[in-house]
Amino acid sequence: MTVLGRDGGEIEALVTDRYLDALLAGTPELTQLGPHGEAGSGGAGTDSRSPLDLAVRAASRRLAGDLPRFHPSFRFEERLAVRLAEAAAAMRLPLAAGSESEVARIPVTPPSGFDPLAAFPDEDGSDALGRPFIVRGAVAASALSLAGAAWYAWRHRPSGSPMARAARAAHGSRSGRRQLSGTGRV
Amino acid sequence: MARPVFGRTGAAKDAVPRIAHLDRDRPLVDAARRDPARFDALYRRYLAQVYSYAYYELGDHHAAEDATERTFLSALANLHRFEERARPADGEGASTFRVWLFRIARNVVLNERRTTRRHPSEPIGETTIIADPLDVESRAVKNEEALAAWHAVGRLPGDRRRAVVLRFVDEMSTAEIAGVLGRSEAAVRVLIHRALRSVAKDLGSRS
Repeated sequence: MTVLGRDGGEIEALVTDRYLDALLAGTPELTQLGPHGEAGSGGAGTDSRSPLDLAVRAASRRLAGDLPRFHPSFRFEERLAVRLAEAAAAMRLPLAAGSESEVARIPVTPPSGFDPLAAFPDEDGSDALGRPFIVRGAVAASALSLAGAAWYAWRHRPSGSPMARAARAAHGSRSGRRQLSGTGRV
Repeated sequence: MARPVFGRTGAAKDAVPRIAHLDRDRPLVDAARRDPARFDALYRRYLAQVYSYAYYELGDHHAAEDATERTFLSALANLHRFEERARPADGEGASTFRVWLFRIARNVVLNERRTTRRHPSEPIGETTIIADPLDVESRAVKNEEALAAWHAVGRLPGDRRRAVVLRFVDEMSTAEIAGVLGRSEAAVRVLIHRALRSVAKDLGSRS
């Protein structure tokens, strides 16, 4: 044991570790050593007097140069990326509207002045209040907004048909008479 | 990169600055925790390293792909359980996330070995290396010296081989390898030193 409390093996291992740090970091003086650890022209003093075994140096250099890092195929990389993205999507909590794909039940309350006669045609009865909406991304959200605007415009469009004009006139005159009778002027 | 950050923990004027070492992957890990879709950046950063480790351990591309897939899926699912524990001793460039990820990879590979009953010290066979003549990776290691080094590493016993692969292929620090293998740094240094002696003797006797 030495004064540092380390035996010879540990000290050798420590020296090897330092050497590997430098070797893998590409320290210039180490690159001047030959393929088997012998000192080059500029590397004198770094080799023969070093406590590190020449054979260990040579083996280190061989492994540093000869062991490649592998990369999987591009196809595998992308396939796994897709799987991870799917797993991530499943983990995500609902964030802002339009930022994720979630099925959400949106409560719909009838607007004031709601006209049941002018309700959306409902062929199969599935258009009941409180139906689920599938909100899938910003494009879908935009499409819903456009659909809402179109629906609003359709509901409030000026009708050119004589029947509709007559109905509106009758409705208007009735409500006008009711208002006047309420004030006692008629 | 693990970089020291100075900050005051209290409002007292003479409070001692606290030094916290940040994991170099902290921004990516934080982003992935907020939004799991951001895990992709960590995946791209460590894919080749994890795959290489699995390939050196299992000696088969398909098995390595399976292990890699399981590693990353498991890491994503358990990211909330990861605790960053970077220390000054971990040094520059340390990543405790990488250590955590490789611990998962090590467990996955060990499980794979157990299920397939592979011999732990079986070297990667030459047939695997030259199986596909169009494979760039295979061509890279086809020369005689590279094959000799490859086989010498393959003949090392379990943890010595793992330590060498993590040190030379994945370029981990001794502290990181200690974290992955669950050993002390001194033990890892000795493991690698002995592994290099074995490799040197092996290469010397065959040349």
